Amino acid sequence: MSAAPPVIDRLRARIGTPGPPTTAVVEAGHLKAFAEAIGDSYPRWLTEAPPTFLVALAPVTAHLPEAEEYGKGWLNGGNRFEYLEPVKVGDAITAIGKLVDVYEKTGSSGNLLFIIFETEYFNRHGRTVARLRGTAIRR
Amino acid sequence: MNIEPGHELPDLIKHPTTRQLVQYAGAQGDFYEIHYDQEFARSVGLPGVILHGLLKAAFLGQLVTDWLGERGTLKSFEVSYRGIDVPGRPYRCRGRVTSVVGGRAELEVWGEDPEGNRTTVGTAVVELTA
Repeated sequence: MSAAPPVIDRLRARIGTPGPPTTAVVEAGHLKAFAEAIGDSYPRWLTEAPPTFLVALAPVTAHLPEAEEYGKGWLNGGNRFEYLEPVKVGDAITAIGKLVDVYEKTGSSGNLLFIIFETEYFNRHGRTVARLRGTAIRR
Repeated sequence: MNIEPGHELPDLIKHPTTRQLVQYAGAQGDFYEIHYDQEFARSVGLPGVILHGLLKAAFLGQLVTDWLGERGTLKSFEVSYRGIDVPGRPYRCRGRVTSVVGGRAELEVWGEDPEGNRTTVGTAVVELTA
């Protein structure tokens, strides 16, 4: 039996392939719970999504069990949000994510694996409302 | 109030607790144990449970939207996590306007731990209502 290819090669093979779409409705109770959890009492967030809410609506990283063979833990390296239209209570939002890059770096405390993903969020009319880019790191 | 380069946003000081981390884990649906299980967090080389990067992003988002109010719209927002933060220590969110061009303002934002280390740094672009 031949050894499986290195994790990085298996992840790289998935770059650019969109994951399955997931759709969720923005619920008033979820907005309220999210605003309370971040400690932001601005009244607008009872009916409209605050800047980072979309991460609570759909998984922000593709499910990558093979990445967990690398290193011993995850770190979040960064996030970038782009907003095209406001997201409001009652909106049905569909998220489609994909891997856009995977690479390795040597840090001061050993090797790190960088996994860059993008998620695009659509409303029920098919218009893009927001995009999210994230850097997940295995260390 | 004029929005012009160099203008500093009012500081937003947050006081994250382990309770807030659990609350945030539930609200976001991120149940990675490093945010609520001390033993697990230490087993992966951390000093104990740490703040979610995205919680610090939410704090910086609030910094911008509290300041902006109804005067405009947030168009983009980017953060990079440079260090870990633990609950029980105040987290100071700061920002300043770096440029204003044609009704768009660009901001630099960052979060500091009590020693003044910028553990989260980022930028935001807002479109100002005419």
